Amino acid sequence: MTISRRDLLKGAVAAGAAVAIPATAEARHEIEPLPDAVGMLFDSTLCVGCRACQSACKVANKLPEDKVEANGGVYDAPNDLNSTTKNVIKAFPAGDTQHYMKQQCMHCVDPSCVSVCMLGALHKEGEGKRDFKGEKKGTGIVLWDKWTCVGCRYCQIGCAFNVPKFEWFEAFPAIVKCELCRHRRDEQKSGPLAVANPACCEVCPREAVVFGYRKDLLAEAKRRVAADPQRYNPHVYGEHDGGGTQVLYLAAAGVQFHDLGLPDLPERSQAEFSESVSHAPYLYGVTPIALYAAMAFVINRNKKKEEAAEHGEEGKR
Amino acid sequence: MSGHDHPQAIGGKMLDPLMKILLAVFGVSALVMAYRFVTGIGSVSNMTDGFTWGIWEPINVVVFTGIGAGAYGVGLLCYLLNKGQYHGLVRPAVLLGAIAYTLGGSSIMIALGRYWNAVTLPIVPWWNLSSALLEVAVCVMMYVMVLWIEVLPAIFDGAAQSKSPRWSAIGKRWGARMAKAMPYIIALAILLPTMHQSSLGGLYLIAGPKLHPLWHTALLPTLFLVSCLSMGYGAVVVLVNILRLNWNAKQDQALFASMSKVNAGFLLLYVVLRLGDIVLHGKLRFLGADFATFLFVVEMALFIAPAVMFVMPGVQRNRGKLFGAALLAILAGAVYRADTYMTMYRPAGWTADGKSIAAGWDYFPSVGETIVTVGMAAVGMAIFVFISRLFPVVVVDQGKKSTIGRGEVRAASGH
Repeated sequence: MTISRRDLLKGAVAAGAAVAIPATAEARHEIEPLPDAVGMLFDSTLCVGCRACQSACKVANKLPEDKVEANGGVYDAPNDLNSTTKNVIKAFPAGDTQHYMKQQCMHCVDPSCVSVCMLGALHKEGEGKRDFKGEKKGTGIVLWDKWTCVGCRYCQIGCAFNVPKFEWFEAFPAIVKCELCRHRRDEQKSGPLAVANPACCEVCPREAVVFGYRKDLLAEAKRRVAADPQRYNPHVYGEHDGGGTQVLYLAAAGVQFHDLGLPDLPERSQAEFSESVSHAPYLYGVTPIALYAAMAFVINRNKKKEEAAEHGEEGKR
Repeated sequence: MSGHDHPQAIGGKMLDPLMKILLAVFGVSALVMAYRFVTGIGSVSNMTDGFTWGIWEPINVVVFTGIGAGAYGVGLLCYLLNKGQYHGLVRPAVLLGAIAYTLGGSSIMIALGRYWNAVTLPIVPWWNLSSALLEVAVCVMMYVMVLWIEVLPAIFDGAAQSKSPRWSAIGKRWGARMAKAMPYIIALAILLPTMHQSSLGGLYLIAGPKLHPLWHTALLPTLFLVSCLSMGYGAVVVLVNILRLNWNAKQDQALFASMSKVNAGFLLLYVVLRLGDIVLHGKLRFLGADFATFLFVVEMALFIAPAVMFVMPGVQRNRGKLFGAALLAILAGAVYRADTYMTMYRPAGWTADGKSIAAGWDYFPSVGETIVTVGMAAVGMAIFVFISRLFPVVVVDQGKKSTIGRGEVRAASGH
């Protein structure tokens, strides 16, 4: 009455199959940038760190100050993105100078947060699970919906840029992140301003950050690099990184993006990898149903066999 | 039922000192939980935007349900492979599973920031089928129901044995009806954990660059599935040993020995998969004199040690040693799961040569967080004691010259 080698072997074969299936998984197709996706281009060689964008963001999004007391005064001085800061300027020492970096939601082409969000609270504009009125399709802006978010914070695990923030000290907390000032759009205007109008881009005195269609911004970034190759790192961060982002970055020549706080990411998006591996064994839902039917059959048969055996034994007594 | 021993209600005084302690611990944790609902999660925990899940998800959900997987493991042997001798273990394992999963599910409700929106989870058209967490949430909710349905035969059995003719009639009638439906429920009780236990590993596929390369692999779902079985079988051995010490529960050492041999197979399968994956993907270069390697070696040792012990006749015969090996098997899975979810997770990720990148966050669980976890474990034990005292869950040893069936005698004599 012990477990026979045959049983163990059967188990090993089943386990082997479970391992082999993900390996031969058909990859979920790669997501391309939407043709009319909007985004921003940040040129760190132009930013002087005035933080006008930071203040304008707080005003535009009605966010409270992140009060820091120093030298007998109180300042709005966030040191990172947080539940009251959707946009932040950080200084990174590089070589003999200082480089400034702007951080906010990257509005990824294939966002991890959207991939993991249980009920589509985080979704690309117009492509949520709920019926969203007034959302345009095709802008690629990642929005948050307060009616379907359960506050599980899986988006924070998924986001490689650590963008979504949570209100830790609220009884009824929200997820806070940049939505590209979609609420400041002007339907009367044409082009990207009819879609959104980021306060940070509007206020920037040096046009270090500009708003527009992603395809135009990408062309502009490449034009700048080609026009002055001495000045720029030839890599346009966000063209392909992490599957591509709608916010693009330029850095000075010789400065690596990871030295400016942007992670080194493969070209394949993490969402594509995760979904391919997770979905493969399900075969579009066939596996669970087939497995259930097979197991119900075997268990039923075993039960009948056992009942027959028991009656047999009782009969012998 | 001649082939099986009959479980019986333990009876006895409900509010014994142990029960009082368990309820007191839970009471304290309930206060912390109440405070959390008024002031926010940040005020009772050390969770931050960087370490957003703290210990509640990794321990209360991922480790608790691993322990609860004993119901899945025993069900697999008893019903799918038709090893009838495991029948006596089914009820304790199922009750343990039902309680562990219920606590996991309740812990989620405490950890969810916007818990009130969880009522929208059953709205199927809103489901994002790409989300591993949605799969876990839906599957675990269904499985909790299935597990309590699996507990029902014990309740009906208890009612059938009741002195009240009315209760007795209800118990007999519904017990018979349940028996007919059971195969279809049991099939679900095997399918659902197969799905969500692998999804628990799949959850961290998306974390990609944030999880140390020695832990991040496409095999995460498989490794979590295998480790839940090794934890589950270990948990059943540990549970029945504790029940024997306290309530003189029947413990069939030969049965444990053969179940533990199965467990040795799963533990070794885990080791082979994990090592094979690391070698095949050229990740050996991440092994060096650092904390990651230390943890990796600890994990491997924790999986190999009980596997080796389980196949040694000296351990198989000895109650204490087998109990120790089973504890190690639980610990192995628990450490692996906690490392994946917490210890080897860094919000800013890891460099190409496996060094953690500094970020503005550090994490160590707060007292409040820990109390909630301990309180959940305590109330789980209290519920187990409560149900076992009232209803026939545990098979009690009737004495040396017992009336046990022939199957068990054969099992006890042969190995």
